[in-house]
Amino acid sequence: MAEDAKACAKDMPEAALVPSEHLRFINRFTVTRAETCISCGLCACLCPYGVHKRVEGHVKILPPDDRRCIGPSCEVNYFFCVANCPTNSLSVGPSETFVCLGDPRWTSEMILATWAMSETGRPLPLDHPGNIGASGGGFDKLHFKLPELKGKVDPDQICTTIDLNRRGSGTKIRIPIPIYGGGMSFGSVSTNTMLARAKAAKRWNTFTCTGEGGYPDVLIPYKDYVITQIATGLFGVREETIQRTRVIEFKYAQGAKPGLGGHLLHDKNTPEVARMREAVPYTSLFSPFPFHSVYSVEDHKKHLDWAQSINPKALLSVKVSTPNDVEMVAVGSYYAGAHIVHLDGGYGGTGAAPEIAKKNIAMPIEYAIPKVHKFLVKEGIREQVTLIASGGLRTALDVAKAIALGADGAVIGTADLVALSCVRCGNCESGRGCPRGIATTDPGLDKLTDADWGAERISNLYGAWRLQWCELLARLGMTDISELRGRTDLLVHGNGQPRGSSK
Amino acid sequence: MKYERYHIPLKSVPGRVGPVPKFVIIRADNCINCGKCEKSCIYGVHKRSEADLRKMADPDNNLCKNCFRCIQDCPQRALTMMVGPDYKALGRGLWTSLRIFTIWSESETGKIPVFGAGYRGLFAGPGYDGMWTDMSEIVRPTRDGIHGREYISTSVDLGSRPAWLEFDKAGALVTDMPPIVELQVPFVIDTTRLRSATDAMKTGMARAAKHVDSLLFAAPDSLSREAASELNAHFVPVYAEGTDLRSIVLPRGARMAALTLGSNWKEDAKRFKSMYPQTVLAFRVNAGKDVEKRVLDLVKAKVDVAHVLFDEEGMELDSVEPRYAKDSLRAIHKALVSKSVRDQITIIAGGGIAAAEHVPKTLICGADVVALEKAAVLALECRDCMTCSMGSCPVNMGDAPAEWIENRVTNLMGAWRDQLLEVLGAMGLREVRRLRGELGRAIFFEDVERESFSDIEGGAGDG
Repeated sequence: MAEDAKACAKDMPEAALVPSEHLRFINRFTVTRAETCISCGLCACLCPYGVHKRVEGHVKILPPDDRRCIGPSCEVNYFFCVANCPTNSLSVGPSETFVCLGDPRWTSEMILATWAMSETGRPLPLDHPGNIGASGGGFDKLHFKLPELKGKVDPDQICTTIDLNRRGSGTKIRIPIPIYGGGMSFGSVSTNTMLARAKAAKRWNTFTCTGEGGYPDVLIPYKDYVITQIATGLFGVREETIQRTRVIEFKYAQGAKPGLGGHLLHDKNTPEVARMREAVPYTSLFSPFPFHSVYSVEDHKKHLDWAQSINPKALLSVKVSTPNDVEMVAVGSYYAGAHIVHLDGGYGGTGAAPEIAKKNIAMPIEYAIPKVHKFLVKEGIREQVTLIASGGLRTALDVAKAIALGADGAVIGTADLVALSCVRCGNCESGRGCPRGIATTDPGLDKLTDADWGAERISNLYGAWRLQWCELLARLGMTDISELRGRTDLLVHGNGQPRGSSK
Repeated sequence: MKYERYHIPLKSVPGRVGPVPKFVIIRADNCINCGKCEKSCIYGVHKRSEADLRKMADPDNNLCKNCFRCIQDCPQRALTMMVGPDYKALGRGLWTSLRIFTIWSESETGKIPVFGAGYRGLFAGPGYDGMWTDMSEIVRPTRDGIHGREYISTSVDLGSRPAWLEFDKAGALVTDMPPIVELQVPFVIDTTRLRSATDAMKTGMARAAKHVDSLLFAAPDSLSREAASELNAHFVPVYAEGTDLRSIVLPRGARMAALTLGSNWKEDAKRFKSMYPQTVLAFRVNAGKDVEKRVLDLVKAKVDVAHVLFDEEGMELDSVEPRYAKDSLRAIHKALVSKSVRDQITIIAGGGIAAAEHVPKTLICGADVVALEKAAVLALECRDCMTCSMGSCPVNMGDAPAEWIENRVTNLMGAWRDQLLEVLGAMGLREVRRLRGELGRAIFFEDVERESFSDIEGGAGDG
């Protein structure tokens, strides 16, 4: 085992420091300097963190740099500026801006933690508050029973590799981390964002996905690391895009809008996007639902056969949402020839979806994974299927919990974007799109994201996550992530009832 | 007759008072008026002051979408953001600030709320928030209702339906056909339990009901004489408990009337049926312990409609241990089905309908029709501050004109119907009648929690 682990744990990309000046605006505390300040400079001499500063030769002291402040708990220190100020001009309190960031699913702590890992590539401790959300259910209520760490973690001894093809025949594809990137179409995100994800995927020898908006030419150099998606709208799907890929993904449904088909609102359908999709610019594009060529399991098989005959070497992935009978769909997909069954739960990301669909249609992924896993085991086909989960997996621990519930691996979307400085303001759907230049096709705004910078940050995040998985596995006494699959005995659930009403 | 597909025409109806900003940007004194924020913001929150171009104007917080770009770009770190204090103060319980805000924007635009970046709320919640609706994946194809590509019917009938029809030898119908009112949407408006309802509100809402082919439930003399003649067909007088039936005169043209369940209700039902055999009779019942038995009694007394009332939070009214509407309605539906009388009575459920998703969920739990109460007032920019009786309404509801009310409420119903179509489409249903009591097409928190997590320590069903 240890030998195997060593073999699959070699050649992991190195982390590099990729800071972002843009992401330093947010701080937990606010330091306020009242007008009574006489600029004596005592605080600048005292504060070891550099909150207060006076430029040499200036009379006035600079506004406080609150992101360096450690907060009111500093009062125990002799250098606490508030207590030392001779004119009582300083005060320290929690930041109002910090409260505006995040939501129960992606808390402000989680966003900051993801940014920190993308910047440094260093993992955060497994008990860091940024590893878990505050939604009061699902992953946020599941915890690992973790023994204390004995000795040091040696990441070289731990294997986090998964196989994407577990059938007896066909191309073998292994990825060194149990995640790959989810589909985000050209149109919903910019080419720079797609490129950043593709470059990171190449570095990690894993995949990203085109989404349903066609295959931009800039991605061709990364074709071995890009999954081609065939969605119900068939936007930009051509024989050559299917032929150049190693994995073909059929998108039957998307978790955030199950049963509704993709949405691209008119503002974002710029001429460039429309050309790729062979559509009329500035019209809203709603892909149909379902595939009107697939009304039965037989049609489904024919559909997969069709793609397989265009590209016999490619693996077939079937992306489905999580209705009541999701386990039947999974079994049907296996018998139709799918290598990967990809379950997409309702709480995942999206470029645009009706609010009613996100929360209310189809079940959260946490319920679907054990349901499908157990059923596949019962049917005796679990070892031939690669079960991939997505839809609301935000952190390395969420991925590990999904695996413990019975998945083989996971697909990541929003976390990639957060690494690219997304603040989850939720305005990707209309107008010029993302004001931060991620989920936009506006020719001005998309320049805000640099593909190489973004690739480094996503790669750092993956690296940090891998180290988190290594620590987790080491503490559980495992050397291979496949040992974790289906180990619900290692989990403990917070308790049965959901918390109060949704605010 | 020319065939016309049912459709609710919607238009933008701006509010009469300014909206409550979700986020407030504060510009500190150390701003040097460099104007960088104006370039950063793609929504136009920051502008130079028109009076003095050297200065920045106060930020227009209603345009702010919480992207933090101005804050990150400000060289002076002079900008901070906070959650708007008025927004924070909105709402309570089931009626959260976000839900109120959503109803306002639905009533203004008539559009389905669509946003990016995935779901942001809590995992689940009590009552209807602890259930998910099903969808169709590959087999059982969905219907593409919302974009008009396929028609999905949302019409429902109010009234008792005979289980079969009988004909005589000559082929003439001998079954005694009970009266039926057909609505084009599975919701009605009910003003009887509102804290305050002005005449303009009742007239406006009755017009909205006419506009979408629905009904307004209100006290008997709510409509002015001139409004009554045109609106009576969409108006249901609600008589209080203890009303002497001999003294009432139904408004001319009214197709339905509602009585309140009291001690003499059986006699009242009999008398009403003999007085007005062609009018649909509804009884209002407070949900509570054994409500299912009371509904069964109503069926025996040949009452056409049971209007089951819950409180604002969607819980039973008359009970020491109140159940959630979802459980109460399921019990009623199952009791009726087990006695094989489900189609002999129509169930209207009112109370605790705070969002578009609650409509399909109520129907799945067994109601035929949903009554909008508080939601219809929130459509009029009500802030739910409960100071109506003090005469200090922050939005001056008393001055709201009937026409504006009609348009706002129509928008709300249009947006909710469209969202209902989304849910029906995803489930592959072609008419809303098929949604009623489709418990197998819903996922309940308790069930999935048990199914998926029972083998996890501390999970549902464990210990």
